Amino acid sequence: MTTLSDLAQPRQDYSYGFMDAYAKRELRRRILKAIAIPGYQVPYASRELPIARGWGTGGLQVTLSLVGPESVVKVIDQGADDSVNAANLRRFITRMSGAETTTDTLKATILQSRHRIPEEVMQEGQALVLQVPDPEPLRGVTADMSKAHQLHADSDYGQMWLLLYEQLVRYRQYIQGASYPSLVNGLYIISPSPIPRWDTPKLHQAAHLTLLSAGREKRLYAVPPYTDVYPLEFSDVPFQVEDQQGWVCKTTGVQNKFMNELPQEDGTSQYELSDSGYAEKLVKNEAVGATYYDDQGDFYYDGYLKPPVQPSL
Amino acid sequence: MYVAARGGEDAIQHAELFYQAMLGKLTPEAVKLIQQQLPFLLDKVMGEGSLYAPDLAALALAQTGGDLYEAVLLLRAYRSTQPRIAYAEPVSANEVLTVRRISAAFKDIPGGQVLGPTLDYSHRLLRLDILDGIAEDEVPVAPEAENPAPPTYPAVADWQRSQGLLPTIEPDPIEPVSIPDVTTDAVLFPAPRAHRLQALARADTGGVLALGYASMRGYGLIHPTVNELRLGYAEVELKHPVTGAAFSAGRVRVSQAEVITSGGENGKAGYQLGFAATMGWNEVKLIAASTLDMEMNSQEPHPAHSEEFVMYHTEPVEASGFCIHFKLPHYVTFASSMDSVRKVIATFYSKDEKPNQQPETATEVQP
Repeated sequence: MTTLSDLAQPRQDYSYGFMDAYAKRELRRRILKAIAIPGYQVPYASRELPIARGWGTGGLQVTLSLVGPESVVKVIDQGADDSVNAANLRRFITRMSGAETTTDTLKATILQSRHRIPEEVMQEGQALVLQVPDPEPLRGVTADMSKAHQLHADSDYGQMWLLLYEQLVRYRQYIQGASYPSLVNGLYIISPSPIPRWDTPKLHQAAHLTLLSAGREKRLYAVPPYTDVYPLEFSDVPFQVEDQQGWVCKTTGVQNKFMNELPQEDGTSQYELSDSGYAEKLVKNEAVGATYYDDQGDFYYDGYLKPPVQPSL
Repeated sequence: MYVAARGGEDAIQHAELFYQAMLGKLTPEAVKLIQQQLPFLLDKVMGEGSLYAPDLAALALAQTGGDLYEAVLLLRAYRSTQPRIAYAEPVSANEVLTVRRISAAFKDIPGGQVLGPTLDYSHRLLRLDILDGIAEDEVPVAPEAENPAPPTYPAVADWQRSQGLLPTIEPDPIEPVSIPDVTTDAVLFPAPRAHRLQALARADTGGVLALGYASMRGYGLIHPTVNELRLGYAEVELKHPVTGAAFSAGRVRVSQAEVITSGGENGKAGYQLGFAATMGWNEVKLIAASTLDMEMNSQEPHPAHSEEFVMYHTEPVEASGFCIHFKLPHYVTFASSMDSVRKVIATFYSKDEKPNQQPETATEVQP
């Protein structure tokens, strides 16, 4: 006699890449839409993953919907491959996809990152997936997402300019730290995820694709290759990256790359490269790729960054 | 295959081992015991996890050492991988096998007040005799009734509708597959009512209580009267895919609450209902949630009156996940902020002197 269990399919614990086919299809469609409308925040359903919300589930959903067995994945957190959270995400991605992993920026096909863009210039065909805690650059002027949505639709960014103007009046400089609001393709303002200002220019006319995804807030947006990205700045007071002049990496001796500042007991500081994959190559004397900032600290895109101007009031 | 493994990977594996060592051995018996002895805890986890699976909920609780948010996340992460193979028929309150049904709005109601299983009128005294091992050995048995209570009871709101106190609702026939689903749709505002009720059904009990309580205590507009609170067992009724015959795939614990407040729609005299339902029995959550269901329609600026505010901030997995994410390193963003602060200090303060010009506070968009 045929029993019910004979007729049933064999049990399948998890799909390839963890997410089921419907979830992946949705993600891929949303990604295409995001690429088609640079900087536009595309809402998506956002599935729960076996990683806590707010720990990179947005980036992870994008990575899992892109990854294949032939992919080479690099995961960094604060620039470091061996950060516990990066290690955990990398472990999960390979466990679910069988993809290869690397710490070399130039070898990665998918690079998932929290809070940093690497120092070596990313290339065509590479995808940078940034984890985003808060996709809404207007959150500081309105906490209400429905209102912010309307402001984006109207390109009504007056309050953002006012915010910058107030900073100039009070501090004679922009005081925004990371997550510097930037205009994509001349249309939408995005939060480039909390990358330091040092990394913001790297999005401009980049050869690689950048996908930014907020799992908890259920929004994803993109900066396609070769797209204009400009930080908000008044024409007479240029945007400034972090000033780390004279900071020398204690391990590699390099300068003019983004550094971690390590407080010392005697009240001084030491510095080390934030990009651990780049540091690893330098230590091993391996060939490194071209970097966004050269040894003198000049940005590779001539004329994009300008010397500081302090407005007199 | 080259695998990038360094210090971090070792550390997290050890950390998980420490946790497991602390919990000790997990056995099927221990999981079974949780399932039998802690139904209300199970219901909370299943409700917020939006997955009715008592054995899996008990396992999640055992596996996480009773950390509720972790247990809910485990269930949710499992649930999100499961295909939806069928839609059950709608559950109607009139047909739910009801074990408890009370109304605060009337002394007596059609079918009667049914107190059912509750600790409401118990003295909250610790049973120390149990610790001493001198409590009676017998399993407590509820006394048998002379006349068995009916299994189902009419809805109180139906009586009010027949009296013209509440607007009558015409059922809006909809294919189950077309019902907006908060787990697979992108949520936008204003949200469809289905999304609102689903979000409340799986909301964090504590979060709903905090907002609901703020509302009841005086920030809200509404004094809720519990029109009906109902605990029961609902049949999960499915249609056979071939024959189309209806059959029950089992029973699940469900609960629902209705609160009523005066003031009809569009300023007419009458009453309005707030409604919430969830899988499992969770009375405090439902009373707060059904109050919020009504408050979310108000135009007032109090946070609990905005559906966006309520829905975003009572989502247990998202709220708890974001809160604990602050344990992650943030030293890059902090360095970026420190750079700005140092530049301002250099502009306005010299090292040894007092500030020559005091900057006022301005807002930074927080990363």
